[in-house]
Amino acid sequence: MQDVPLFWYLALGLFMFTTGAVGVVVRRNPVVVFMCIELMLNAVNLTFLAFARYSPTLLPGMAESPQTWMTGQMMVIFVMAVAAAEVAVGLGIIMAIFRLRNQVDVDDMSALRG
Amino acid sequence: MEVGTLIWLVLFLPVLGFLVQAFFGGRVVRSQGVAGKKLMGTLAVLPIAISFVLGCIITAQLAQQPADARFSIHTLFSWIDILSLSIPFEVRVDPLSMTMVLIITGIGSLIHVYATGYMAEEKDYSRFFTYLNLFIAFMLILVLGNNLLLLFIGWEGVGLCSYLLIGFWYKDLANSRAANKAFIVNRIGDWGLTLGMFIIVALIASNIGKLGLDNVRFLSYDVILSAPVIEIFKANPGWTTAAALLLFVGAMGKSAQFPLYLWLPDAMAGPTPVSALIHAATMVTAGVVLLNRMNILFQLSPVASAVVCGVGAFTALFAALIAFGQTDIKKVLAYSTVSQLGFMFIACGAGAYWAGMFHVTTHAFFKALLFLGSGAVIHAMAHDQDMRNYGNLRKYLKITSATMIIGWLAIAGVSVWTFFGFAGFYSKEAILGAAFANEFASIGGINIGFYSACVGMFVALLTSFYMSRMTFMTFFGQEERWRLIPAGAHHDAQGHDDHSHDHGHTHAHHEAHDHGPDTHGFFYTDEELAAQHVGHDHDDHHHALDAEHEPHEVPPSMWVPLVVLAALSVAGGFLLYTNHMFEHWLYPGGQLAILGEIKAYPEWKTLLVALSTGAALGGIVLGWFFYGKKLPEREGWDLRRWSPFRRAAGQQFGYDKAMVDMSVEGGNQLATFSWKFLDSKGIDAIVNGVAGLAGQIGKLFGWAQTGFVRGYALLMLLGGVGLIGYLALVLFQSNGGPK
Repeated sequence: MQDVPLFWYLALGLFMFTTGAVGVVVRRNPVVVFMCIELMLNAVNLTFLAFARYSPTLLPGMAESPQTWMTGQMMVIFVMAVAAAEVAVGLGIIMAIFRLRNQVDVDDMSALRG
Repeated sequence: MEVGTLIWLVLFLPVLGFLVQAFFGGRVVRSQGVAGKKLMGTLAVLPIAISFVLGCIITAQLAQQPADARFSIHTLFSWIDILSLSIPFEVRVDPLSMTMVLIITGIGSLIHVYATGYMAEEKDYSRFFTYLNLFIAFMLILVLGNNLLLLFIGWEGVGLCSYLLIGFWYKDLANSRAANKAFIVNRIGDWGLTLGMFIIVALIASNIGKLGLDNVRFLSYDVILSAPVIEIFKANPGWTTAAALLLFVGAMGKSAQFPLYLWLPDAMAGPTPVSALIHAATMVTAGVVLLNRMNILFQLSPVASAVVCGVGAFTALFAALIAFGQTDIKKVLAYSTVSQLGFMFIACGAGAYWAGMFHVTTHAFFKALLFLGSGAVIHAMAHDQDMRNYGNLRKYLKITSATMIIGWLAIAGVSVWTFFGFAGFYSKEAILGAAFANEFASIGGINIGFYSACVGMFVALLTSFYMSRMTFMTFFGQEERWRLIPAGAHHDAQGHDDHSHDHGHTHAHHEAHDHGPDTHGFFYTDEELAAQHVGHDHDDHHHALDAEHEPHEVPPSMWVPLVVLAALSVAGGFLLYTNHMFEHWLYPGGQLAILGEIKAYPEWKTLLVALSTGAALGGIVLGWFFYGKKLPEREGWDLRRWSPFRRAAGQQFGYDKAMVDMSVEGGNQLATFSWKFLDSKGIDAIVNGVAGLAGQIGKLFGWAQTGFVRGYALLMLLGGVGLIGYLALVLFQSNGGPK
C-alpha cells in the first residue's frame, strides 16, 4: 500500500491546530474552549506521530533497535496523560464557577482585572 | 540511721504529705465530713512533726562532731550536667541549714496544729493543707540545698505557695490583688538574685584555669566558698560588690526590705496561720539565710555591707512609724515583722551574721506567737480585725491574752538588766552591740553601721511603744468597745471609711454581707449556707460583731501551740544566748572567714544595756500612759494635732500608693504610648509602607490586566507564534540559510 505523504499529515495537523487556536480565542463558552484546546493538543500529537513515522530519530549513544524509534509515540502518550489531568482540573474549576454564579461565560470571569 | 538517709526523709516527708493532701484530701473531706477533716488534718501535721523529730536527731548527731567537721553533703542524683556545668541535686547538712530546718519544721508543725483548729469550718480544708505542706517542702529545699540553683528553686517555690495562700480566699478580688502584688514584687527581687548568680558563675568560669578543680559545680556552696574561689573574689572587688548587692536585692524582695516591702502588709489577706508561718516565721527569713550562706561575699565588700545596714535601718524605722497608723491588728504585726527584718539586716551588714540568724530564731518564736494569738483574738471576735472594736479582752480570753502578753514583752525586749530577759532582748542586744561596735560596714569613711545602730536603738523604743499600743487597745482597759456597736447593725460605718485608703485590705466579711450571718470570707454559696443553718446551731462567734457578742476562748488545738511558743519566747533567748551557744554553733569560735572575730560590743557596754533596757521599758511606759491610762484625754490634750501624722502613717506615707500608681498607671501609660505611638506609628508604618509600595508598583503594570480572558489567550497565541517563529528563523540562519 502506498503511504500517504508526510505533507498531508502536516497539513491536517496545521488545519486542526488553527481551528483550535481560533476557537479558543473567539468562543465564550469554556467547555467549547476546552474542546478547542483538545483539538490543538491532538494536532500536535498527529504531527509527532507523523514525524516519528517518516523521520525516526535515534537516541544518542544507543544501538539501533525498534525501541529507539518510539520517541515520538512516547511523547504522544505523555501529552495525552497531561491533557487528561488538565481536563479533570479545568472541568472542576468550571463546575465550581458554575455553582457559584449559575452561568459560565469566559468574558465574565474578570475578577483579577488590574 | 545514717544522716544521709535521715536528711532525705526530712526533705521528702512534707512532699509526701503534700501529695496525700492533693490527691486524696478533697475526696476524703467531701465524703467523710468532719471525720475526714480530722483525718486529713492529722495527716497534714504528721509529716512535719516527724520531720522535726528527725531534724532534732540529725542536729544532735551534728553537735557531737568536732566544730570543724560539722558539715556533710549528700547527693541524690545529677540534676543538670552539661559540658562545663554540673549541678547535682545535693543537700548540705551543717549548723545553719539544720537551725533553719528546726525552725521551719518546729514552728511549722505548731502552726499546722493551730490551723487544724482555725480552719475547721473551712470548706476547702485540704486545699489549705496541700499548700501548707508544699510550702514546708519548698522551704526545706531552700535551706538544705547545697547550691544556689536549689536555693532558687526553693525561693521560687515558697513564692508560689505564698501566692496561693495569700489568694486562698480567691473569690474576693482584694485577696487576689494582694496575691498578685506579692508575686510581682517578689519577681523584682528574683531578678537581682538571678543576676547575682550569673555574676558568680561568670567570675568563676572565666578564672577556671586558676582553680585546678576536678569538678565544675560552680553554684555549689563548697565551691563558691572554697579558698581559691575567694582569691578570685578578692582579685575582682568590683564584681564581688555587684554580686553581693544583687544577691541583697533578692533578699530585699523575699525579706520585705524598704523598696520591696510592699507585698508583706498586703499578704495579711491570707488566713492567719499563713501570716504566722510564711510572713513572720519562715519565708521572710530566707533573705537572712541567703546573706548568712554567702556571708563571705559581704565580708569582702564593705560597701555592700554598708548598704545592707542602711537599708535595714531605714526599713526598721519606716515600718515602725507606719505601725502607729494601723488599726487592723494583723497589719500592726505585719509592719512590726518588716521592722524586725530590718534589725536582722542591720546585724548582717555589721558582720554579726550569727546575730541576724539569732534574731530570725527568736523572732520566729515570738512573732509566730503574736500572729497565732491575734488569730485567736480574731476568731473570738467574729472575724473583726479592727482594734478599735476590742478592749478588755483579757477578761474573756485568759490563755490567749496571757500568751500574747508574753509575746509583747518578748518583742519589746524586756529584761531584768542582763540577768534574764525575754527572747527578743538577747537578739536585739546582740544586733545593736555589734552594730555600735562596727568598724567595717562603711562607705567613704562614714560608719554606716554605727548610725544604723543609733536608728535601731530608737526603733527599739518605737517597737515597744506600738506593741504596747496594740496590747493595751486589745486586752486592757475597762471599755468593751464592741458593745458600742448596736445589735444587728454591722460595723461598716465605723470601720470602713478609715480603711478606704487601703486598697489591699482584708476584711472579706465586709464585702460579703449579702450571704447572711456566716460571712467571714469563707464564701459558701447561698444553698450551702442554707444547708448549714439546718445542719447545726450557730455559735456566737459566727455572728457579726455587735453589742450582744460574747468572746469565747479558742479550742485547745489553737491554744496549745500558743503556750508552747510562749514558753519558747520566755526561755528560748536565754538558753541559746548563754555561753555564746548559738554564735559558736553557727560560727565556731565566733570566727568569720575574712574578718576574723568582730567586736560584739562597743567600749560602753553598760551604757548600751542601760539604753536598750530603757528603750524597752520606756516604750511600755509610754504606751501605758497613752493607751492604758488615756492620759491625753484626761489631761485634755489636743489629739487632733497628731491626726495628720496618723493618717500619713496609716497610708504608709503615700509610698505604697505612689508605687502602685507608678507601676499600674505608669505601666498603663507606657502601654498606651507604645500602642499609639511605637506600634501604630512606628512598626505599623513600616509594615503598611512595604505593602503599600508593592501595591503602587503593581498599579504601574495593572492596566495590562484587562480581565478579558480571550484577549489573554490571543496574546499568548501571538507570543507563542512570535517566539517559535523567531527561534525557527535563528535556527534556519545558523544552518547557513536555505539549502
